[in-house]
Amino acid sequence: MKTLNAVAGHLPGLARQDVRWQTLAFESAAGRVDVEVPVLSAQQMTALARRVKQAARQHLRTMTVSQIIEVVDRAIARLLDPADPYRQQADRLLPTITGYDAEMVRLGLTSFFKTFRAPQLQRFVAEDFSNPKLLDEFQPRPKGGAARAFGPELLFHSWAGNVPALPLWSLVCGLLVKAGNIGKLPSAEPLFASLFARLLAEVHPPLADCLAVVWWKGGDEEQAGAVYAEADTVLAYGGNAALDEIRRRLPVTTRFLPYGHKLGFGVIGVAALDTLRGPATARLAAHDVMRYDQQGCYSPHVFYVERGGKVSPREFAQLLASELANLEQRFPRRALALEDAAAVAGWRQAGELQSLSTAGGVELIGGDGAAWGLAYADQPQSLAPTALNRSIQVVAVESLDDVIAQVEAHRPFLQTAGLAVAPQELFRLAELLGAAGVTRIAAIGSMTSPEAGWHHDGRFNLLDLVRIVEIEQSAELAADRLAPYAD
Amino acid sequence: MNAPDRSQDIVAAVLAFIAQDGCTDPTFDALAVRLFGYQYENNTAYRRFCQRRGATPRNAKRWNDIPAVPIDAFKELSLRSQPSAPTDRVFMTSGTTRSEVRGRHHHPTLAVYDSSMTRNFGRRFMRGRDKLPMATLFPDETVMPNSSLAHYLALAASEFGTPDSRCFVGPTGLDSEALCAALAHAERSAQPYALLGASYSFVHLMDDLRQRGRSFRLPPGSRVLDTGGYKGQSRELPLATFYEQLSATLGVPRSQCINMYGMTELSTQFYDDGNASLPSVKSGPHWIRSRIVDPLSGREVPAGERGILVHCDLANFNSVTTILTEDVGVASDGGFLLLGRAEGAQARGCSLAVEEFIRAAAA
Repeated sequence: MKTLNAVAGHLPGLARQDVRWQTLAFESAAGRVDVEVPVLSAQQMTALARRVKQAARQHLRTMTVSQIIEVVDRAIARLLDPADPYRQQADRLLPTITGYDAEMVRLGLTSFFKTFRAPQLQRFVAEDFSNPKLLDEFQPRPKGGAARAFGPELLFHSWAGNVPALPLWSLVCGLLVKAGNIGKLPSAEPLFASLFARLLAEVHPPLADCLAVVWWKGGDEEQAGAVYAEADTVLAYGGNAALDEIRRRLPVTTRFLPYGHKLGFGVIGVAALDTLRGPATARLAAHDVMRYDQQGCYSPHVFYVERGGKVSPREFAQLLASELANLEQRFPRRALALEDAAAVAGWRQAGELQSLSTAGGVELIGGDGAAWGLAYADQPQSLAPTALNRSIQVVAVESLDDVIAQVEAHRPFLQTAGLAVAPQELFRLAELLGAAGVTRIAAIGSMTSPEAGWHHDGRFNLLDLVRIVEIEQSAELAADRLAPYAD
Repeated sequence: MNAPDRSQDIVAAVLAFIAQDGCTDPTFDALAVRLFGYQYENNTAYRRFCQRRGATPRNAKRWNDIPAVPIDAFKELSLRSQPSAPTDRVFMTSGTTRSEVRGRHHHPTLAVYDSSMTRNFGRRFMRGRDKLPMATLFPDETVMPNSSLAHYLALAASEFGTPDSRCFVGPTGLDSEALCAALAHAERSAQPYALLGASYSFVHLMDDLRQRGRSFRLPPGSRVLDTGGYKGQSRELPLATFYEQLSATLGVPRSQCINMYGMTELSTQFYDDGNASLPSVKSGPHWIRSRIVDPLSGREVPAGERGILVHCDLANFNSVTTILTEDVGVASDGGFLLLGRAEGAQARGCSLAVEEFIRAAAA
């Protein structure tokens, strides 16, 4: 088997030979990739953090938001170019590193990158700042006085793995607010953030020192402690236990922005269940399940399907099953580690045992050998996670309003709901779902591609990062009185 | 076609099989298939489970052909061939979360369980000795009537323990005062001594002895049996540290520290031959066989690859012979290495994994 090599990390001011390196090996059907990741000492981490802070003050804070957008846009243009060496490296290595089907990765990356082009980024900024110039200089306020937004001196990111290129979101946010950025690579996908950092440095060399990409093994107290002491804002993705761990280690004055694991679901109304639309809806739903094998926070675990349409909930489940079978041909599921396989098998077995023990339990569709699984329940079922990796539940409901009772108990885990309903239902249901804790309502088929400028977990991506500095009117008036030309 | 087996015929056949000195592949297969037919016939839930898989006694020729039942089925289904009776002994799984349903294993008679246990225990733990003074570090059967381990340990003491054997775990926990006295007595007596109990009880014992600044040098031939892991009841120690400390505290060489691997869902136990080197190979007697499977396909994995353990225990005459565990193992010379539990998929992505959800729900 051919082994490819890659070096991860981006460490301004540190020479390769000054750093200890560790190799993470990734193997899939496509081959093997050995990725070298840096292991810094606490002193190196502290020096790096200070250097990044200093450089950002000098080179990033002096740029306008429009100039930053222009630089990111040039980097993204390179990534959208199939002939560009950075893009080629991503296309070549990410499938092996993540195990995902190469075509799934390629299509996913392209549609993801498109949301980071200049017009999309401008929209992104405009979502949070009605006047984006607030990020550049003091702007007059309608109430009087003036205000300006300052980003963190040093923003630390703890990134999550399984969806390739995910670090791009928070890294771009950090750049847009002109923060110095240090990101910790996820062991599951240490490549992309490293590539992007180098690409930015190539596109606009002064940025090279304004960001760093590091790695440590979970539990490495030293490196974590060093960077937590320097960062004024910490943004982290992960399970609640891991997030709690980080929070407990941060000084109380550090701003902490946690993004926990979430549980997506879809709601399909009778309007989408006639003989024409039913199969089309099932096809879109299957895509949401297939993309990145349900590893995204926005990925669906359950589809609630309304009774009373031409296509019954059970028929919808069957349509969805055959679409999943089709997609398995086109975008095969990645090979599962034993633990993942055991989880999927356990989920199926639980469904099977339920069907044997109780009337009106679940019905498993799809054989043991299939690389996907569907459990159909004819009775209401509370929202619960499946085993991921294309295991999905379809639940019949009498009316769409019944869905609320099934999901509202899980408020801390709600985020995306995919909806296929008529317009008057859309706004009525959105009201109920929003009150229950959902923060994003998307079309079935778009659940896994949030639009540019979305508010992740209902938060303001950029506003959460900044601090507003105000010049009150009194200061302005007082200054007037002190002017040399004051009468 | 033979007349359908009656339960007493089945029990007699299994007892006779256990009493044999060994078996050949065909004789193991023959009894396994006969038990499969009996259980298929007499247990509706199990029959439906098999039918879903297209497995019937007609097309089962070898033990590998018998469908493996996931251990969760002991919670969800009624897995018994004889109707439940007030005289049944029911062993239950411990259940790790508050609201969890406990798995139930029905034994209409303990004759088979006891025969399986004593015959195997005699060979693997007693190693030729008839009796030893024994200290049991686990609550006794009257306190935990539904614990298979409590029964196992009581049986060990009644069958293989000298009259001065006793249980050192009472309602308030480990009676280390009394245990220290017993250990000191054993140390002086030059007669080999045995300690048996849950792995976590030994951690408590070692912590306690360290606090007292005590350690013992038990006479040669003394031995230790631990089982079941820590189950969140004590500190988690790496295995090497556990046996190192155990050996240092009690003066029993690691080769005499034996780990038993058993499950409520089985009627037969596995043992290693001491833990001088790790990981130790676990193996069972001739009436139990194991295979290592890919959890998704249920097919055996190639030799040397990790997989999930399936056991076919002919002493499980009333429930089901063949169970699918949640334990990861790899085949090894003469048995298997136990590599821990297949803990839910590691959440590497941003999508919620079942484990975390359950934790949140239980909080």
